[in-house]
Amino acid sequence: MGPYNSSVSAGSSSGSSSSCSGKPADPIDGLLAGAGYRVRSSELRQVAQRLARLENVMVNAPTEVSHLANDAVHYNPSDLASWVDSLLSELHQPEIAPDPSTFSDLNYIAHTQAGPVLVNPMVSHRELSAGTEIEEDSGIRLVHVLMTCAESVHRGELSLAASLIEELQGLLTSVDGERGIGKVAGYFIDALSRRVFAPPSPPSLAVSAFENTVLYHHFYEACPYLKFAHFTANQAILEAFDGHDCVHVIDFNLMHGLQWPALIQALALRPGGPPLLRLTGIGPPSPDGHDSLREIGLRLAELARSVNVRFAFRGVAASRLDDVKPWMLQVNPKEVIAVNSIMQLHKLLGSDPSRGSPIDPVLEWIRNLNPKIVMVVEQEANHNQPEFLDRFTEALHYYSTMFDSLEAYSAPLEKSLAEIHIQREICNVVCCEGLARVERHEPLDKWRDRLGGAGFTSLHLGSNAFKQASMLLTLFSAEGYCVEENEGCLTLGWHSRPLIAASAWQAMPVLQHPLPLINHRQNVI
Amino acid sequence: MAGSNEINLSESKMVVPLNTWILISNFKLAYNMLRRPDGTFNRHLAEFLDRKVPANANPVDGVFSFDVVIDRGTSLLSRIYRPAGADGGVPSIADLEKPVGSDIVPVIIFFHGGSFAHSSANSAIYDTLCRRLVGNCKAVVVSVNYRRAPEDRYPCAYVDGWAALKWVSSRPWLQSPKDSKVHIYLAGDSSGGNIAHNVALRAVESGIEVLGNILLNPMFGGETRTESEKRLDAKYFVTVQDRDWYWKAFLPEGEDRDHPACNPFGPRGISLEGVKFPRSLVAVAGLDLVQDWQLAYAEGLKRAGQEVNLLYLEKATIGFYLLPNNDHFYTVMDEISNFVSSNC
Repeated sequence: MGPYNSSVSAGSSSGSSSSCSGKPADPIDGLLAGAGYRVRSSELRQVAQRLARLENVMVNAPTEVSHLANDAVHYNPSDLASWVDSLLSELHQPEIAPDPSTFSDLNYIAHTQAGPVLVNPMVSHRELSAGTEIEEDSGIRLVHVLMTCAESVHRGELSLAASLIEELQGLLTSVDGERGIGKVAGYFIDALSRRVFAPPSPPSLAVSAFENTVLYHHFYEACPYLKFAHFTANQAILEAFDGHDCVHVIDFNLMHGLQWPALIQALALRPGGPPLLRLTGIGPPSPDGHDSLREIGLRLAELARSVNVRFAFRGVAASRLDDVKPWMLQVNPKEVIAVNSIMQLHKLLGSDPSRGSPIDPVLEWIRNLNPKIVMVVEQEANHNQPEFLDRFTEALHYYSTMFDSLEAYSAPLEKSLAEIHIQREICNVVCCEGLARVERHEPLDKWRDRLGGAGFTSLHLGSNAFKQASMLLTLFSAEGYCVEENEGCLTLGWHSRPLIAASAWQAMPVLQHPLPLINHRQNVI
Repeated sequence: MAGSNEINLSESKMVVPLNTWILISNFKLAYNMLRRPDGTFNRHLAEFLDRKVPANANPVDGVFSFDVVIDRGTSLLSRIYRPAGADGGVPSIADLEKPVGSDIVPVIIFFHGGSFAHSSANSAIYDTLCRRLVGNCKAVVVSVNYRRAPEDRYPCAYVDGWAALKWVSSRPWLQSPKDSKVHIYLAGDSSGGNIAHNVALRAVESGIEVLGNILLNPMFGGETRTESEKRLDAKYFVTVQDRDWYWKAFLPEGEDRDHPACNPFGPRGISLEGVKFPRSLVAVAGLDLVQDWQLAYAEGLKRAGQEVNLLYLEKATIGFYLLPNNDHFYTVMDEISNFVSSNC
């Protein structure tokens, strides 16, 4: 993983003062920040010197350049100072003491940091149907009325909302409901009508775990989001397990265990031989005494046996993650632990940021396990905002983009099932409140703050992980998926809108937690 | 050449602010790693290193943005930047394509630079530049995410530019209320400037009117080595060798730099005499080694009787317009603003 875990800013994306330490922050250059680079104003000269040094080395040794490009792993290019330093280390160039005399201060206009950028990213705007102008106008009208309806729900004017829903259902007939805005609007109109007409107790709780896994499986096949999550997580876990003989993966949502065959096989093939692998799979209790967790465990055990990996499985049945107690995981002090959370942590969030939420004790016990790595993959969306209308708008954009990306998938039955999986999420975001609303997605920046504040430090995913994820995408015929690097994390999106974010974390040693964060380069506590 | 590199570095440090030097040197080094001697390009590392930003419908400093698909077949995206409403509120989805308000609203179709190989419409440096253009010109800006070399050579970038032009000219919501026409300008820096020229060329005789071209340090070249190339080689961030690499990556295989896409007024160029070509604003940086070609371009337009406003910025280097920390930046912004408002 990255040699420089620049946790000094505590994951705060705006580069504003670290919320954890008492001392005032070192401002970053605002203009470079606008270009995507974080460089402290006080370090500009040093960074420039190092760049000059790197350039001189590269000019003198052109073969080194290709080494840097092809073999070296790059991390977090936004942290320019670290990036340059890592390249210098690759070329075995020691750090030099800063020499203040080398630069002129020509026309230098100092800027303090830019303020935080509100990121409520809109999706790639959906092309309204390719048909006639009439249909284009219907699509626009549909969106207009949909938003008006959401507004009336937001204001509590339910009778108005009800009549708007009727109007919307009428409008739906004049657009193509099979694709584009018609399809997405259809799902949102359905969600709104459940909220307005249905009784208070939400229907989603009654869904069976079996149905869920079937839908999940189709979502897995129809688009690359889950595959990206599994793939990226496995790569990072594999790296974290390097050199260790006893390893333990704790999977927060086992499902069919789709993620694990690849890891088992990769471990089987690793130089020096595989470790002893323990897998603890958490999942909901099975109905009528049937132990589905154990079944999946047995299948994985069989696979492990076939590739000579010593393997042990344990299932932990829990309806909610916060029902899990650490003693249930039976961790062994000698083993190295990887915690794997694919779209699970958001379910533990509450809606009131000022009050504690169920996630806090969970993050605490995760940290106390002292895991070597915690993989977190989450939807990159702001669906946990307090105001209904904001959530609705954000969700409309987010899921429009997601549906758009699915359109390319050719198998119609499978596609429909994948869409129902997504529809369930939409319903939860739009119809449910309180404890029932579990799809409380938050964007990467918020997760950085939250995990940083809970005593975790970021492990950067590098250019090797990026490249492999990008190559995975070429297996899909749909062009339009994009992997992006975001300050040590990777996102997968469609048409330049990130939809899923993967990040890796490690517990900060307990001793240092209450002190101001350590600056790795200046070694100042 | 090795010893003189130190001298070159000192030279370049003296002429730009420190943060600019860092930004452009960083690009230079990164790009060095991405270009392979065999003409291939390390696209994965390029995308990993490029700093990107998402579109943002929340107005920031009075500007909001959203992405559109112009051509699904080629995954051609563009990012649209608009001035926020007077109340500064967040536009709802239905408002994104709300008809433009005031009497006349210029629409600037922007092609980002990157020597045909680097950057994207969502690169941070270009997102920032486009936002500045909106405020500066009270315009809508459409930044085109054209296909890049070497994977997609000539004429792909021009084809994408043309598709964007057609798209923009056919949007009812971009028509200025005064005359129900879309007031289109083509703009670009480096390779984007070259694309703007070639799209304008394509637009001639098409019935689509382009009101003006804005070319910032446009990328042109030719087989001969000009005086400025020899004098300034490697002195200010750019080398003749890297220019050659990019042309080789963009032009059709086997072609040389006298291809008209590279050298529009060279031995294989076509005459623009008598052609209804848009008026042009051409900004040339005095420390850009390619300036002789850019000046020849402006000359070529003049000789053909076309209207050209040449802005020669003696002490400017490439990329001077990326950060608002130098006089050249403000000079150029003023000129662009005048250019776009003077003729509406």
